[in-house]
Amino acid sequence: MARIPETDVLLAIMGAPHCSDLLTSALRLTEALVDRGGTVQVWTCGYATMLTQRSLGETKPRNVVDWSRDHPSTAAVVRDLLESRSGLVTWYSCRFCGEERGVSSHIPQVRVRPPFKFGEHVAAAGKTIFLGVI
Amino acid sequence: MTRYLAVVERGYRGSVETQFADVLYLVRELNRQLGGLDLSLRGLAVTYAVDAGPVGPAAGVDTLPDPRASLRTLLAEGVAVSVADADLDAAGVPGDVPLLPGVVRGAARWSDYRAVWFL
Repeated sequence: MARIPETDVLLAIMGAPHCSDLLTSALRLTEALVDRGGTVQVWTCGYATMLTQRSLGETKPRNVVDWSRDHPSTAAVVRDLLESRSGLVTWYSCRFCGEERGVSSHIPQVRVRPPFKFGEHVAAAGKTIFLGVI
Repeated sequence: MTRYLAVVERGYRGSVETQFADVLYLVRELNRQLGGLDLSLRGLAVTYAVDAGPVGPAAGVDTLPDPRASLRTLLAEGVAVSVADADLDAAGVPGDVPLLPGVVRGAARWSDYRAVWFL
C-alpha cells in the first residue's frame, strides 16, 4: 500500500457503535479539526469496523412512519465525509477485527490494514486519540 | 393490570447510527403492538424530558434523533412518561427545570404493571 500519510491527528475508534454517541463525537471532532486546517486519519477496531461495510448500502432500512425520507447508512456518511474532504481525512479499518465480526467487504474509500501495522499509523500522526474500548 | 412499563436508563446511543430508529421509536412500536405501555426515564435518559431544541447536524446528517419530538409523539399517543427526580439531580439538571408538558416527575410504581422491561 501507499505510504501512510502524515496527519495531525489519529482517531482510533475502539468503542462499539450504537452504545453511545462516540461515533457522532468522532465525526464532529473530525469535521472540526479539518475545518481548522488540520488533517485526520481514522482507524476503526472492534465493532466499529462494521460501520463501513459495503453491504450497508446507501440508506438505513425504511422508517415505516415516514416512508419517503432517506436516512443515510453509516457507510454513506463516512464515504461522503471522505469525498468532501479528500486528502484531509483518511479512514482505515482493522482487518482482524472486521473478519472476526463477519465484515467481508468495505466501501472502496476505506483501506483495510493488518493490526500489526497500527504502530505505523501512530507514528504518522502528531497526536493519537483513543475513543472507547473494544 | 394490562399496561406494560418500559424503563430506559441509557440515552444517546449512537445518534448517527440510529437516527429515527432510537429507543423511543421502539417504545412507540411496542405501545402500538401491546395496546398500552408507559415509559420511565432514568439515568442520563432523563434529559430527554427536558425541553430543548434539536441538535445540529453531524457530518452532514440532518436526521439525527430528536428525543423531545419523540416524547411529544408518545405522550400524544397515550404513553405516560415519568422521570426520576434523583436522576435529574445526578445528571446536573436544576430541580426547577421545566419538563415537556405532560411528563410526570417521580418513579413509576412497578406493581401497577403487567410487566416491567428495561430497554
